[in-house]
Amino acid sequence: MSNVLRPYLAAVRSTLTAALTLENFSSQVVERHNKPEVEAGGSKEVLLNPLIISRNENERVLIEPSVNSIRLSIRIKQADEIERILCHKFTRFMMQRAESFIVLRRKPVQGYDISFLITNTHSETMLKHKIVDFIIQFMEEVDREISEMKLSLNARARTVAESYLTAFNA
Amino acid sequence: MDTAFRKIDIDQYDEDVLHESELYDADPRDPAQVLEDAKQRQAAVRTALARSDVVGALSTILENAPYGPNVDQAKEITLHTLLTILNTTKSTEIPAVIKSLSQDSQDTLMKYLYKGMAMPGWGDISGSVLLGWHEKLTEIAGTGCIVRTMTDRRLV
Repeated sequence: MSNVLRPYLAAVRSTLTAALTLENFSSQVVERHNKPEVEAGGSKEVLLNPLIISRNENERVLIEPSVNSIRLSIRIKQADEIERILCHKFTRFMMQRAESFIVLRRKPVQGYDISFLITNTHSETMLKHKIVDFIIQFMEEVDREISEMKLSLNARARTVAESYLTAFNA
Repeated sequence: MDTAFRKIDIDQYDEDVLHESELYDADPRDPAQVLEDAKQRQAAVRTALARSDVVGALSTILENAPYGPNVDQAKEITLHTLLTILNTTKSTEIPAVIKSLSQDSQDTLMKYLYKGMAMPGWGDISGSVLLGWHEKLTEIAGTGCIVRTMTDRRLV
Protein backbone atom coordinates (compact mmCIF):
# COMPACT_ATOMS: atom_id res chain seq x y z
CA MET A 1 0.00 0.00 0.00
CA SER A 2 2.55 2.57 1.15
CA ASN A 3 4.82 1.47 -1.67
CA VAL A 4 2.18 2.39 -4.24
CA LEU A 5 1.55 5.71 -2.56
CA ARG A 6 5.22 6.63 -2.19
CA PRO A 7 5.99 8.20 -5.63
CA TYR A 8 2.84 10.31 -5.34
CA LEU A 9 3.78 11.62 -1.92
CA ALA A 10 7.38 12.14 -3.02
CA ALA A 11 6.19 14.29 -5.91
CA VAL A 12 3.95 16.33 -3.60
CA ARG A 13 6.79 16.70 -1.13
CA SER A 14 9.31 18.00 -3.67
CA THR A 15 6.79 20.34 -5.30
CA LEU A 16 5.69 21.71 -1.95
CA THR A 17 9.29 22.23 -0.87
CA ALA A 18 9.95 24.11 -4.09
CA ALA A 19 6.83 26.22 -3.68
CA LEU A 20 7.50 27.14 -0.06
CA THR A 21 9.87 29.96 -0.85
CA LEU A 22 7.78 32.80 0.52
CA GLU A 23 8.61 36.35 1.47
CA ASN A 24 6.80 39.22 3.09
CA PHE A 25 5.04 41.12 0.33
CA SER A 26 2.59 44.00 0.76
CA SER A 27 -0.36 44.44 -1.53
CA GLN A 28 0.36 46.42 -4.66
CA VAL A 29 -3.28 47.41 -5.05
CA VAL A 30 -4.15 48.73 -1.60
CA GLU A 31 -1.66 50.66 0.43
CA ARG A 32 -0.72 49.32 3.86
CA HIS A 33 -2.50 46.07 3.23
CA ASN A 34 -0.74 42.75 3.30
CA LYS A 35 -2.78 39.83 2.12
CA PRO A 36 -2.11 36.41 0.66
CA GLU A 37 -1.72 37.15 -3.02
CA VAL A 38 -2.97 33.73 -4.08
CA GLU A 39 -6.31 34.51 -2.44
CA ALA A 40 -6.52 38.17 -3.40
CA GLY A 41 -5.48 37.58 -7.00
CA GLY A 42 -5.09 41.32 -7.44
CA SER A 43 -1.86 41.34 -9.39
CA LYS A 44 -0.94 38.78 -12.03
CA GLU A 45 2.82 39.19 -11.84
CA VAL A 46 3.09 37.75 -8.33
CA LEU A 47 1.08 34.61 -9.04
CA LEU A 48 3.08 31.65 -10.28
CA ASN A 49 1.92 28.77 -12.43
CA PRO A 50 -0.39 26.40 -10.55
CA LEU A 51 0.79 22.79 -10.62
CA ILE A 52 -1.30 19.64 -10.40
CA ILE A 53 0.07 16.32 -9.19
CA SER A 54 -2.25 13.43 -9.74
CA ARG A 55 -2.13 9.75 -9.06
CA ASN A 56 -5.31 8.95 -10.94
CA GLU A 57 -8.48 10.79 -11.84
CA ASN A 58 -9.82 10.76 -8.28
CA GLU A 59 -6.69 11.57 -6.35
CA ARG A 60 -4.87 14.79 -7.06
CA VAL A 61 -3.22 17.75 -5.42
CA LEU A 62 -3.32 21.31 -6.71
CA ILE A 63 -0.54 23.65 -5.62
CA GLU A 64 -1.00 27.32 -6.38
CA PRO A 65 2.13 29.28 -5.49
CA SER A 66 2.50 33.02 -5.23
CA VAL A 67 5.04 35.44 -3.84
CA ASN A 68 3.83 35.42 -0.24
CA SER A 69 1.50 32.47 0.08
CA ILE A 70 0.69 29.09 -1.38
CA ARG A 71 -2.58 27.26 -1.53
CA LEU A 72 -2.57 23.49 -1.56
CA SER A 73 -5.78 21.61 -2.29
CA ILE A 74 -6.23 17.88 -1.97
CA ARG A 75 -8.78 15.69 -3.64
CA ILE A 76 -9.18 12.60 -1.48
CA LYS A 77 -9.92 9.20 -2.95
CA GLN A 78 -13.63 8.42 -2.82
CA ALA A 79 -14.44 5.07 -4.34
CA ASP A 80 -18.08 4.76 -3.37
CA GLU A 81 -20.98 6.50 -1.67
CA ILE A 82 -19.92 5.54 1.87
CA GLU A 83 -16.42 6.90 1.35
CA ARG A 84 -17.85 10.09 -0.08
CA ILE A 85 -20.00 10.63 3.01
CA LEU A 86 -17.18 9.74 5.39
CA CYS A 87 -14.77 12.02 3.59
CA HIS A 88 -17.25 14.87 3.67
CA LYS A 89 -17.88 14.42 7.41
CA PHE A 90 -14.18 14.11 8.15
CA THR A 91 -13.07 17.19 6.23
CA ARG A 92 -16.02 19.16 7.57
CA PHE A 93 -15.05 18.24 11.12
CA MET A 94 -11.53 19.49 10.54
CA MET A 95 -12.46 22.63 8.66
CA GLN A 96 -14.82 23.72 11.41
CA ARG A 97 -11.79 23.67 13.70
CA ALA A 98 -9.54 25.26 11.12
CA GLU A 99 -7.84 27.69 13.47
CA SER A 100 -6.42 24.85 15.56
CA PHE A 101 -4.65 23.57 12.46
CA ILE A 102 -3.34 27.07 11.61
CA VAL A 103 -2.64 26.37 7.93
CA LEU A 104 -6.03 24.85 7.15
CA ARG A 105 -8.47 26.81 5.03
CA ARG A 106 -12.11 26.97 6.07
CA LYS A 107 -13.41 26.15 2.63
CA PRO A 108 -11.94 23.90 -0.02
CA VAL A 109 -11.18 25.16 -3.49
CA GLN A 110 -13.81 24.08 -5.99
CA GLY A 111 -13.28 20.52 -7.19
CA TYR A 112 -11.18 19.55 -4.16
CA ASP A 113 -12.00 18.22 -0.71
CA ILE A 114 -9.70 20.15 1.56
CA SER A 115 -7.41 23.15 1.15
CA PHE A 116 -4.47 24.55 3.03
CA LEU A 117 -3.24 28.12 2.89
CA ILE A 118 0.37 28.65 3.91
CA THR A 119 1.50 32.26 4.15
CA ASN A 120 4.90 33.79 4.73
CA THR A 121 4.03 34.26 8.43
CA HIS A 122 3.61 30.52 8.78
CA SER A 123 6.86 29.74 7.04
CA GLU A 124 8.63 32.29 9.24
CA THR A 125 7.20 31.16 12.57
CA MET A 126 7.29 27.43 11.84
CA LEU A 127 9.94 25.18 10.39
CA LYS A 128 9.47 24.75 6.67
CA HIS A 129 10.26 21.05 6.56
CA LYS A 130 7.86 20.45 9.43
CA ILE A 131 5.04 22.11 7.50
CA VAL A 132 5.82 19.87 4.54
CA ASP A 133 5.93 16.85 6.86
CA PHE A 134 2.57 17.80 8.32
CA ILE A 135 0.90 17.97 4.91
CA ILE A 136 2.44 14.69 3.79
CA GLN A 137 1.48 12.98 7.03
CA PHE A 138 -2.05 14.29 6.66
CA MET A 139 -2.27 12.86 3.16
CA GLU A 140 -0.92 9.52 4.35
CA GLU A 141 -3.35 9.28 7.20
CA VAL A 142 -6.51 10.58 5.66
CA ASP A 143 -6.78 7.58 3.31
CA ARG A 144 -6.09 5.15 6.10
CA GLU A 145 -8.50 6.93 8.44
CA ILE A 146 -11.33 6.83 5.91
CA SER A 147 -10.85 3.17 5.03
CA GLU A 148 -10.71 2.30 8.74
CA MET A 149 -13.92 4.22 9.36
CA LYS A 150 -15.52 2.44 6.45
CA LEU A 151 -14.56 -0.97 7.88
CA SER A 152 -15.86 -0.20 11.34
CA LEU A 153 -19.02 1.27 9.86
CA ASN A 154 -19.64 -1.93 7.92
CA ALA A 155 -18.88 -4.10 10.96
CA ARG A 156 -21.27 -2.07 13.06
CA ALA A 157 -23.98 -2.23 10.42
CA ARG A 158 -23.59 -6.00 10.28
CA THR A 159 -23.86 -6.39 14.07
CA VAL A 160 -26.90 -4.15 14.20
CA ALA A 161 -28.61 -6.02 11.40
CA GLU A 162 -27.85 -9.38 12.99
CA SER A 163 -29.19 -8.46 16.41
CA TYR A 164 -32.23 -6.87 14.81
CA LEU A 165 -33.02 -9.88 12.72
CA THR A 166 -32.66 -12.37 15.62
CA ALA A 167 -36.00 -11.03 16.86
CA PHE A 168 -37.66 -12.60 13.83
CA ASN A 169 -35.67 -15.81 14.09
CA ALA A 170 -37.22 -17.09 17.31
CA MET B 1 -31.29 51.84 -8.77
CA ASP B 2 -28.89 50.16 -11.12
CA THR B 3 -25.86 48.91 -9.25
CA ALA B 4 -24.23 46.87 -12.00
CA PHE B 5 -21.58 49.54 -12.45
CA ARG B 6 -20.11 48.56 -9.08
CA LYS B 7 -19.04 45.23 -10.52
CA ILE B 8 -17.00 46.77 -13.33
CA ASP B 9 -13.31 46.13 -12.94
CA ILE B 10 -12.07 49.66 -13.42
CA ASP B 11 -8.45 48.64 -13.04
CA GLN B 12 -8.47 47.12 -16.51
CA TYR B 13 -8.88 50.62 -17.97
CA ASP B 14 -5.80 51.88 -16.16
CA GLU B 15 -3.16 52.94 -18.63
CA ASP B 16 -0.26 51.15 -16.92
CA VAL B 17 -2.20 47.91 -16.41
CA LEU B 18 -0.16 44.75 -16.88
CA HIS B 19 -1.23 42.44 -19.68
CA GLU B 20 -0.65 38.71 -19.89
CA SER B 21 1.48 39.20 -23.00
CA GLU B 22 3.91 41.52 -21.18
CA LEU B 23 4.96 38.85 -18.72
CA TYR B 24 7.14 37.00 -21.24
CA ASP B 25 8.63 37.42 -24.68
CA ALA B 26 6.27 36.10 -27.31
CA ASP B 27 7.28 33.26 -29.58
CA PRO B 28 8.79 34.86 -32.70
CA ARG B 29 7.53 32.02 -34.88
CA ASP B 30 4.26 32.07 -36.75
CA PRO B 31 1.52 29.75 -35.28
CA ALA B 32 1.18 27.87 -38.57
CA GLN B 33 4.92 27.31 -38.68
CA VAL B 34 4.93 26.09 -35.07
CA LEU B 35 2.27 23.55 -35.94
CA GLU B 36 4.29 22.45 -38.96
CA ASP B 37 7.37 22.08 -36.73
CA ALA B 38 5.43 20.04 -34.20
CA LYS B 39 4.26 17.65 -36.91
CA GLN B 40 7.76 17.27 -38.28
CA ARG B 41 9.12 16.56 -34.84
CA GLN B 42 6.41 13.97 -34.25
CA ALA B 43 7.62 12.13 -37.37
CA ALA B 44 11.26 12.53 -36.31
CA VAL B 45 10.46 11.09 -32.89
CA ARG B 46 8.76 8.08 -34.47
CA THR B 47 11.84 7.24 -36.50
CA ALA B 48 14.07 7.77 -33.46
CA LEU B 49 11.89 5.51 -31.36
CA ALA B 50 11.96 2.86 -34.07
CA ARG B 51 15.74 2.88 -33.67
CA SER B 52 15.09 2.82 -29.87
CA ASP B 53 17.04 6.07 -29.56
CA VAL B 54 15.16 7.49 -26.55
CA VAL B 55 17.65 10.26 -25.83
CA GLY B 56 17.52 11.51 -29.41
CA ALA B 57 13.71 11.40 -29.44
CA LEU B 58 13.42 13.27 -26.15
CA SER B 59 15.88 16.00 -27.05
CA THR B 60 14.18 16.47 -30.42
CA ILE B 61 10.76 16.96 -28.88
CA LEU B 62 11.94 19.14 -25.99
CA GLU B 63 13.83 21.57 -28.17
CA ASN B 64 11.92 24.75 -29.12
CA ALA B 65 8.73 23.47 -27.53
CA PRO B 66 5.66 25.51 -28.51
CA TYR B 67 4.49 28.04 -25.95
CA GLY B 68 2.16 31.02 -25.67
CA PRO B 69 -1.32 31.51 -27.07
CA ASN B 70 -2.73 30.40 -30.46
CA VAL B 71 -0.67 27.22 -30.72
CA ASP B 72 -2.96 24.83 -28.84
CA GLN B 73 -2.86 22.16 -31.54
CA ALA B 74 0.93 22.15 -31.69
CA LYS B 75 1.05 21.90 -27.89
CA GLU B 76 -1.28 18.94 -27.96
CA ILE B 77 0.73 17.10 -30.59
CA THR B 78 3.94 17.71 -28.66
CA LEU B 79 2.40 16.51 -25.41
CA HIS B 80 1.07 13.31 -26.97
CA THR B 81 4.36 12.58 -28.69
CA LEU B 82 6.23 13.14 -25.45
CA LEU B 83 3.88 10.88 -23.52
CA THR B 84 4.46 8.05 -26.00
CA ILE B 85 8.22 8.43 -25.44
CA LEU B 86 7.77 8.39 -21.67
CA ASN B 87 5.50 5.37 -21.87
CA THR B 88 7.89 3.31 -23.97
CA THR B 89 11.00 4.01 -21.90
CA LYS B 90 12.02 1.29 -19.44
CA SER B 91 12.15 2.51 -15.87
CA THR B 92 15.76 1.38 -15.45
CA GLU B 93 16.86 3.56 -18.38
CA ILE B 94 15.24 6.75 -17.10
CA PRO B 95 18.14 8.17 -14.99
CA ALA B 96 20.67 7.78 -17.81
CA VAL B 97 18.27 9.39 -20.30
CA ILE B 98 17.61 12.36 -18.01
CA LYS B 99 21.29 12.89 -17.30
CA SER B 100 22.06 13.20 -20.98
CA LEU B 101 19.55 16.05 -21.46
CA SER B 102 20.55 19.70 -21.26
CA GLN B 103 19.24 21.82 -18.40
CA ASP B 104 16.73 23.61 -20.61
CA SER B 105 15.38 20.31 -21.86
CA GLN B 106 15.08 19.04 -18.30
CA ASP B 107 13.03 22.11 -17.38
CA THR B 108 10.78 21.63 -20.39
CA LEU B 109 10.39 17.97 -19.52
CA MET B 110 9.30 18.95 -16.02
CA LYS B 111 6.71 21.34 -17.47
CA TYR B 112 5.31 18.57 -19.62
CA LEU B 113 5.21 16.16 -16.70
CA TYR B 114 3.02 18.56 -14.75
CA LYS B 115 0.93 19.28 -17.80
CA GLY B 116 0.45 15.55 -18.35
CA MET B 117 -0.67 15.10 -14.76
CA ALA B 118 -3.09 18.02 -15.04
CA MET B 119 -4.79 16.58 -18.12
CA PRO B 120 -8.44 15.95 -17.32
CA GLY B 121 -9.04 12.89 -19.49
CA TRP B 122 -5.67 11.23 -18.86
CA GLY B 123 -5.76 9.58 -22.24
CA ASP B 124 -3.74 6.39 -22.42
CA ILE B 125 -1.08 7.17 -19.84
CA SER B 126 -1.01 5.92 -16.29
CA GLY B 127 -0.15 8.26 -13.45
CA SER B 128 2.58 6.03 -12.09
CA VAL B 129 4.66 6.52 -15.25
CA LEU B 130 4.63 10.29 -14.89
CA LEU B 131 5.23 10.10 -11.15
CA GLY B 132 8.19 7.78 -11.75
CA TRP B 133 9.69 10.22 -14.24
CA HIS B 134 9.02 13.12 -11.92
CA GLU B 135 10.83 11.41 -9.06
CA LYS B 136 13.90 10.60 -11.15
CA LEU B 137 13.98 14.06 -12.69
CA THR B 138 13.77 15.74 -9.29
CA GLU B 139 16.59 13.53 -8.03
CA ILE B 140 18.85 14.57 -10.89
CA ALA B 141 17.83 18.16 -11.67
CA GLY B 142 16.92 19.15 -8.11
CA THR B 143 14.20 21.35 -6.66
CA GLY B 144 15.38 24.24 -8.85
CA CYS B 145 13.86 22.50 -11.82
CA ILE B 146 10.42 22.61 -10.19
CA VAL B 147 10.91 26.27 -9.23
CA ARG B 148 11.75 27.13 -12.84
CA THR B 149 8.59 25.32 -13.94
CA MET B 150 6.55 27.42 -11.53
CA THR B 151 8.11 30.73 -12.45
CA ASP B 152 8.43 30.37 -16.21
CA ARG B 153 5.51 32.13 -17.85
CA ARG B 154 6.10 30.43 -21.18
CA LEU B 155 3.49 27.78 -20.57
CA VAL B 156 3.90 24.73 -22.75
